[in-house]
Parts: sequence; structure tokens; C-alpha cells
Amino acid sequence: MSAMHEGSPPITAGRRAADRALRLLGRLGVALSVAFLIAPAVVIVVLSFSGDDVLAFPPRSWGLRQYSELFSSDVWLPAIWLSIKIAAPSALLALLIGVPASLAIVRTRLPGRFALQIGGIAGMIVPISAYAVAMYGVFAQFELLGSFWGLVIANAILGLPFVLVMGTAALTRVPVELELVAITLGASRVRAWIGVTLRLMLPAIFGAAVLAFVTAFDEAVFINFLGGPDLVTMPKAIFDSVRYGVDPAITAIATLLMVATGALMSLPTLLRKKDPR
Amino acid sequence: MTRVAVSRRAWSATPSHSTAVLLLLPLAIAVAAFVLYPLVKLVGDSLADGGLQNYSDAFSGPLVRRALLTTLLYAAGVTVVAVAIRWGLAWTVRTSASRLVKGLIWAGVMLPFWMGVVVKNYAFTVLLANNGVVNRVLTGIGVVDRPVQLLYTPGAVIVGIAYAMIPYAFFGIYAVLSSVDLGLPAAAQSLGATRTRAIRTTVLPLALPGIVASAALVFAISIGFYVTPVLLGGAQTPFMATLIQDDIFTYNDPTEAATASVMLLLCALLVLGATFKAVGRERLLRAIA
Repeated sequence: MSAMHEGSPPITAGRRAADRALRLLGRLGVALSVAFLIAPAVVIVVLSFSGDDVLAFPPRSWGLRQYSELFSSDVWLPAIWLSIKIAAPSALLALLIGVPASLAIVRTRLPGRFALQIGGIAGMIVPISAYAVAMYGVFAQFELLGSFWGLVIANAILGLPFVLVMGTAALTRVPVELELVAITLGASRVRAWIGVTLRLMLPAIFGAAVLAFVTAFDEAVFINFLGGPDLVTMPKAIFDSVRYGVDPAITAIATLLMVATGALMSLPTLLRKKDPR
Repeated sequence: MTRVAVSRRAWSATPSHSTAVLLLLPLAIAVAAFVLYPLVKLVGDSLADGGLQNYSDAFSGPLVRRALLTTLLYAAGVTVVAVAIRWGLAWTVRTSASRLVKGLIWAGVMLPFWMGVVVKNYAFTVLLANNGVVNRVLTGIGVVDRPVQLLYTPGAVIVGIAYAMIPYAFFGIYAVLSSVDLGLPAAAQSLGATRTRAIRTTVLPLALPGIVASAALVFAISIGFYVTPVLLGGAQTPFMATLIQDDIFTYNDPTEAATASVMLLLCALLVLGATFKAVGRERLLRAIA
């Protein structure tokens, strides 16, 4: 077969050996990567059940000491509560801005809508240190440093990308014909959007809301620059604690947060699985 | 009759521009006030008393130049490693028949997400400290006889950033690979190609735009990491984030902080802009979430 073209040399024994070696190497790489990804979480969870007052691995004694420290502490619980108080309105604000915008981006033909979409996701792709300095300048100018609502807005900007990306992706999957049928049957466009389109987008909206909430809850950069000394959210409290020595009770918080975040983020998927469609 | 026809505008399936403007107004205000204005003001601040001189000053001093080069170099390294591992994992989930393997990979990808930003870094301070887990294991099995300095080194920062970036946007990548027809590499193999070659010549070209988009995002995000350099790198590591935080909180030099920030922004903009041109808006968006 002289027609075999230049780029496809026949398989030699050496080539086959190289192929086998590469595949083995790939498997090893995957195994090591998974171990690397899982190990820190496992160590934290194990350490959270340590009964020692100084962390050592493996723990010398076991118990719920870290958890009781956490719940009797006057630092951690208020910090967690403040994080929730900031994250909830942030996620809501991100939805209020992002869902109508998604409708306009997918369903209308207004020029410039894609540029706005890119602007809306900038919060996620701009280097956060630089963005934080920029926000610091603006917050200092308008004396918003340390302001609760200023922080809510800043966090909403970070949650917005999730709403815009997931919202527009979901909208392109909702057939526009469904809206048109509703309108033909006498509904106004607003009613068709609310009654048909938004209802079909609900899983995506819920998923985006969860991600926006978790992002704001977990936000650790803006809070350092914009929060001032008085707003101490959970990430800020951990950040400060880690900088000035390690409090073992953090392992308990970390474990509880991991479980809570995991449950929250799995919720949309679980809900969707129950959906017969 | 005619009057009725004139007074009622023709109905169109596409909503009018005024509806679109109304729906986009909140986003437009948010973007103008909290994205565009801060960035423009940042550039203005970086030029305050001194103008472009600030930039040449920053470059001629060893501090900023070293920080910028270190940050860019290490971010590039992290990008290559994180993207390679991430796509390797996604490909394994896509092709593996074993439920255990798939489950472990999904767990490995989700756990760092669930841990949250600060907790991740806290975990590494526990792991890498002088009396930490890694040093205990190393001395225990006799690789080293004294604990090695792992924490507060650039290496710790790299590991921390890679840990955060490997699982980033895993769903999007998995979606890209899900759309690849597994019959293609199988066909190539049946025609005599090795497995490696089959993947390289069929799957890789199809996934390449997605890989480029995700690499660009990883790079742009990596150069901005703040928590990891500050917590794992300590006060002495030459990263831009450390420099910026010192400028603002220690030396009270907002101009240099702004100058350094604009440099970071320009680097990110360059990489993202080039990628946007190369692969388009859709692919870039899909690589985000």
C-alpha cells in the first residue's frame, strides 16, 4: 500500500512501547492528581476530631474538642453569621441584575448586548488583586470602606458572572416557540416570560444563586481591602487567624463548611435528577 | 380602519429595543459603576503625580520588576500543569468504565470547591508547616532527617494556586469532552493508530479551542491570586499580590499599588483579548462555568 500517506508511519515495536509507557504515565498522573486533590480535605476532617490543643497528625487523642471550642467561641459564630448576612442579599442582587439581562442578551437583538455581557463577567476573569485595588480606590473616594451595603454590592458583582453565564446558557435551551405559543394564546410577553421561560430556567437560576451565595460567603479578597477593621466575615476571621498563628478550631469550621457547601452545591443537581424530564 | 392599523405597531416576535434596554439597564449601571469606573480610576490613580514616569520608576526598581516576572512566570507554569491535569482528569472521567475511578475523580474535583478559598490555604499551612503532615511523613520515612522549610516559599504558593485551579470550571471542560464522539479515536485505532496517536489526532484538535480558552482563564486568574501568596508565601515572597498588599496596608503607597495593579490587568487583558480573538466569545464563556 504505497498510498499510505507520509504522516502515518507504520506502528513499530518502539512506537508501541512508547504508547504503553505514555498511557501508564497518564494513569499514574491521574492517580497522583486525585490523591493531591483529596488529601488536604481528608487531613482537615481527620484533624477536626483531634482532642489535642496543638495540631499534630495523626492526632494523639480523639474527641469533639474542636467542635465544642467552635460553638463556645465568640469569634467564629458572629463571623459566620455576618458572612451569611452579606452573602444572601449579594446573591439576590446578582439575580435581579443578571436574570433580566440574560433575557435581553439571548432574546433581543440590541446591539452592544454582548459587550455588556463581557463587562458583567469581568468580575470573575480580571485578576482579583488588581480589581480589589481598583475597588479600594472607589470605596475610599466615596467613604464606603467598612460599609455593609458596599460589600454586598461588591460581592454581587462577583456573583453576577455565574448568573449571566448559566442564565444565558439555560435560555438558549428554552425554545422561543414556547413563549410565542403562550403569546398567541393571549398572554402578554411579560406573562409568557414569567410563566413559561423563567419557570423552565428555574433550575439554572437556582444553581447560579447557590454559586453566587457560596462565592460571596467565601469571599476573602474584597473583604480584606474593603471591609475595614470592623466587618469580620468568616473568611476574614480565618485569614487573620492563619496569619497570626493557627487556631485548631478552624479544622472544625472547615469540616462543617465543607459539608454545608457540598450539600448546598449538590442540591441543584439532586433536584434536577428528580425531574422526570 | 387605517387609523387603527397605524396606531398599532406591527407585532414582532423579537422584543423591541426599548424592552431590551429596560432589561439591560441594571446590568449596564452595575458594569459602569463597579467595573468600568473602578478600572478607569485605577489607571488614573496609577498616573497620579508622576504620570508615565511611575511605570518606568516601577520597572527600574528591582522590587516591582522581580515581582511581576515571578508572578507571570509562576502563573504560566501553574497554567500548564493545572490545565494538563484538569483535561487529563476530565478525559479519564469521560472514557473510564470504572465507577470507582469516576467517583474518585469527581470527589477530587468537588472537594476543593467545597472547602472554600481560605480553608484551602489553611489546609496547606497545616500540611506544609515545619511540624506539619508532609514534614512528619518525610522525616518518618527517612527522606530527610530534619524538617524542610516548605511553608512560606514560592513553591508553597505554586502548590496552593495549582490546587485551586485544577478543578476550576471542570464541568465546562467535561461538557466539551462529552460532545466529542468516542467513535473517532476508536476508528483511528482500528485503522492502525496507537491509542496515544488516536487521541492526539482526533480528540485533541476538537478540544483544542476549549483547552486554549481554559488556559487563558487559568493564567488571568492565577496572576491575580491574593490569599495564597499572602498566606502561603509569607511576607518575603516576590509576588505581585504580596507587593500590592504591602503597598496599601504597610507603606501607604496607593500609587505604586495602582501601578502594579494596572500591570497585572494589562497582562490579563492581553492574554484574554488574544484568546477572545482566537476562539470567540462562546468558547470563552463556556470555559468560565
